Amino acid sequence: MASAWETVIGLETHVQLRTVSKMFCGCSAAFGAPPNSNVCPVCLGLPGALPVPNEQALKLAVRAALGLGCTVHPRSVFARKNYFYPDLPKGYQISQFEQPLATAGSLSYLSPDRGVATATIQRLHIEEDAGKSLHDRFPKQTAIDLNRCGVPLIEVVTGPDFRSPHEARTYLLTLKQVLEYAGISDCDMEKGSLRVDANVSVRRAGETTLGTKTEVKNINSFAYVEKALSVERDRQIAVLEGGGTVAQQTMLYDSKTNSVRPQRSKEESHDYRYFPDPDLPPLVLTEESIAEQQTLLPELPAKKRERFVEKYALSVTDAAVLTADRAVADYYEAVVHAGAEAKTAANWVMTEVLEDAKDHADGLRVAPGALANLIGLVRGGTLSHQAAKRVFAEVAERGGEPRNVAEALGLVQVADTGVLAGWVSEVLGTHTTEVTRYKQGETRLLQFFVGQVMKASRGKADPKLAQRVLEEKLAS
Amino acid sequence: MSDPSEALASAKGAADRIVKVKRLNACLTPIKELRKSLVAQASAAHPSGVLYGMPVAVKDNICTLEFTTSCGSRILEGYRSPYDATAVAKLRAAGALIAGKTNCDEFGMGSSTEHSAYGRSLHPFDKTRVPGGSSGGSAVLVAAGAVPAALGSETGGSVRQPASLCGVVGIKPTYGRVSRYGLVAFGSSLDQIGVLGRSVHDAARVLSVISGRDPKDSTCEERDSLRLPTVPESLQGFVIGVPKEYFPQELDPAVRRACDRAIRLLRELGAAVREVSLPHTVYAVATYYIIAPAEASSNLARYDGARYGPRFDGSEDVRALYRTTRGEGFGPEVRRRVLVGTYVLSSGYYDAYYRKAQQMRALIAQDFRNVFDRGVDLLFTPTTPTPAFKAGEKLNDPVAMYLSDIFTVTANLAGLPAISVPIGRIRGLPVGGQLIGQAFLEDEMLEAAYALERAVPAGEEA
Amino acid sequence: MSVTHDEVRRIARLAELDVGEEALPLLAEQMSRILEYVAQINAVPASEGVKPFVPGPDAVRFRPDEVRPAPLAFGPAELAPAFRDGFFLVPKLGQFEQEEG
Repeated sequence: MASAWETVIGLETHVQLRTVSKMFCGCSAAFGAPPNSNVCPVCLGLPGALPVPNEQALKLAVRAALGLGCTVHPRSVFARKNYFYPDLPKGYQISQFEQPLATAGSLSYLSPDRGVATATIQRLHIEEDAGKSLHDRFPKQTAIDLNRCGVPLIEVVTGPDFRSPHEARTYLLTLKQVLEYAGISDCDMEKGSLRVDANVSVRRAGETTLGTKTEVKNINSFAYVEKALSVERDRQIAVLEGGGTVAQQTMLYDSKTNSVRPQRSKEESHDYRYFPDPDLPPLVLTEESIAEQQTLLPELPAKKRERFVEKYALSVTDAAVLTADRAVADYYEAVVHAGAEAKTAANWVMTEVLEDAKDHADGLRVAPGALANLIGLVRGGTLSHQAAKRVFAEVAERGGEPRNVAEALGLVQVADTGVLAGWVSEVLGTHTTEVTRYKQGETRLLQFFVGQVMKASRGKADPKLAQRVLEEKLAS
Repeated sequence: MSDPSEALASAKGAADRIVKVKRLNACLTPIKELRKSLVAQASAAHPSGVLYGMPVAVKDNICTLEFTTSCGSRILEGYRSPYDATAVAKLRAAGALIAGKTNCDEFGMGSSTEHSAYGRSLHPFDKTRVPGGSSGGSAVLVAAGAVPAALGSETGGSVRQPASLCGVVGIKPTYGRVSRYGLVAFGSSLDQIGVLGRSVHDAARVLSVISGRDPKDSTCEERDSLRLPTVPESLQGFVIGVPKEYFPQELDPAVRRACDRAIRLLRELGAAVREVSLPHTVYAVATYYIIAPAEASSNLARYDGARYGPRFDGSEDVRALYRTTRGEGFGPEVRRRVLVGTYVLSSGYYDAYYRKAQQMRALIAQDFRNVFDRGVDLLFTPTTPTPAFKAGEKLNDPVAMYLSDIFTVTANLAGLPAISVPIGRIRGLPVGGQLIGQAFLEDEMLEAAYALERAVPAGEEA
Repeated sequence: MSVTHDEVRRIARLAELDVGEEALPLLAEQMSRILEYVAQINAVPASEGVKPFVPGPDAVRFRPDEVRPAPLAFGPAELAPAFRDGFFLVPKLGQFEQEEG
């Protein structure tokens, strides 16, 4: 049924910028303060107050635009978007309309259906956030907290580029990654520093005109993105297959019931009467300031992935895991730079390091140099891999130099052939049946003997060396 | 003045004089509160300030920590601002005393102070007439001798027009000369705080103090405070243009006579006077009455009873709260302008009205630049087409009221400084003449104003 | 050029402003009068392609990103007509139905 229909999705993403103060006033932009404690005449919308824009917000916005391949316009204009809502104290939001900061960008992402796909970024502009309205805190009242009012945002608008909810979600995760890499935002949907509204329409496969679109709002996590869009797509298909028409309206997603319902029509609410904000002269950027942001852009995820594949001979999947988070990617490179072999280091980072980081707020607890050291000890035969994992855990928890920690834990492998010979003799002596079987051709028993030597040595024997000694002994 | 006892005497004197003209309904601050505050301010004022002890009244739409800031409206009745406007803070720092809040047309929208929710102010010489507006209360207090100077605000002439009708000096600075932080916004690209004074010197002194850079206002230019010129011996070297569009056929002959006399005096002072043309003048009022209401409709959207000010309640839901508060809190003139403003910005009308008006504005500004580029230093025009009109006379037709701004709106549209100086009487009522200067060249304008003021027999019939 | 009663109602809704039915006729008439008067600027053809003029600085100045809140002599609690537990209160949204956040 679904294959007869094509889904068309566009996304508008609002991202809070990592500044300490708000967009148009000096109040703190921090999350989590007591209600209405980070407010002033400007963000309260008091009579006579005026906006003054935040320099860092602009820089981050330009950087984000460049990271998304946009054309940054040296001259853009702040505009007022006029509408009434309890958490919008001025009765308008300062945003950008006809002359936005940036246009014509793109972002490649890995579509689950189509391989590498490119989303068009139609525009990226700066605006201020609104406050928060809480409808369920007090009966019959709406409670308003204006702490968030005035926090700097960028709005990133794609074209109707996505052909499935899954694609939309993937794009969003890719966008998040790019913006995190560039230090633009925390992109935390739970904290509200990244919010998304979607435009959804369907059409019969093969049609070229777009169907009527609805706007889907109130999507509060990346997981819900896919669910909400699926639910809305299905709803539209059901309407059309039933002979009806899709009404252009705003749908609110309800995660508890996994359903969408129309937001009661806001009548004239869509005539925003945009006009250039007379309180703010035009935003003018010099070539130098744009170029400066370009230099501050780090190597972005896609490029870094490619480079990791090339430079470290990693698989695409492994490279993707290592570059998912910029801090991890930097860490990995530091480990290799400190002397560890690339593939081994990759395995260690993808397993032990990321596992440890998941459970601990302070993240990457073992210094890159220490990990490189540890890997060297395994490579050189001083530690078995198992022992090294124990040493890693110890260093992560209590610090220390790997070699010393290994010795203190008594984990240093025995590579003394004399001592090994002793264990080998002991094992071969107690397993004469198996020795006979081995000599009769069951060569896979070698691993059994190695295991027994490891047991006899309480894990201290160097298994590779033990195997060699065993082979020699058994051959004689 | 340099002594706290002198400041105290000044404070008490101001309170006494303001009480005496209570019936003019110019001061909105209850007298007990005013007197108490003036005395407290006098002891706290900085003796080294250049305006030490000077009582300056402030228009009700400018935020002050003392007194209420109700903008002549019900919707802000009893509202107390938790911060001072920058201009007020500068006055305070200069040792001035804030002598109460003055009556005005609601949110600055009007030309007669008849559109105040707190009753109209009376003309000091004839109580059946209006003092002009919107800064009528400030003009009245200065004209009645209660205070030497008062702050007003301009969007389309609201300082100069009442100055002309009341026989005092009114100055509008260049746009961006004085910070708008704390001036309750009406038409943001037109608004400026201005000064009314009993003389050019008094008004200019106050203007100098309140002018200058303010990082809290993005439209305020990065400049030092206005420097005050000295009174010139003559106007030799000044070229004064007289734009023919401001002297139309139908101009009141008495106004024309007063202006002709003033022009003759300017010539006698040594200025070269020549006729010039500002061809787009005829469209100025129409242009203004698109741009100002449009910006106002957006600036007044914040008044909804939610976070400050009174609520006009009984509402079950928030939308009802907004609609009732705004419906009952705004007077009819504000309502008209908010609706017209909303209309001209709305989808389908924006291009024909608002965008077009912005282009007209550019042509009007260009007219001035063309004239100034050809060697003209200043322009001289009447300030108002008539002296003070009767209360109620223009209330039936909003456009008739708008036309009283015909000579003043151009300076607001072009962002230029302008000053009205009393130039004579018409049947006993004062009338003003206007000088329009070049952007940020207030000092040249003030020099000519000083000279004109000294020469012209302002108390004589034209 | 006439503004109808319906248009006045529509504009009043956009402006969140109650206009009683009895006020509509006069308001429509006055608005028509004003709009008719201002529409005369359309008689000037020469303004196509003219860039709008706005006085003031040519480019906006920026503020450094620092936490320096503008001072308030008293806070939201004293300003607000209705306040509880640190929140401004308004009657519940009936017409608006957005979820929290």
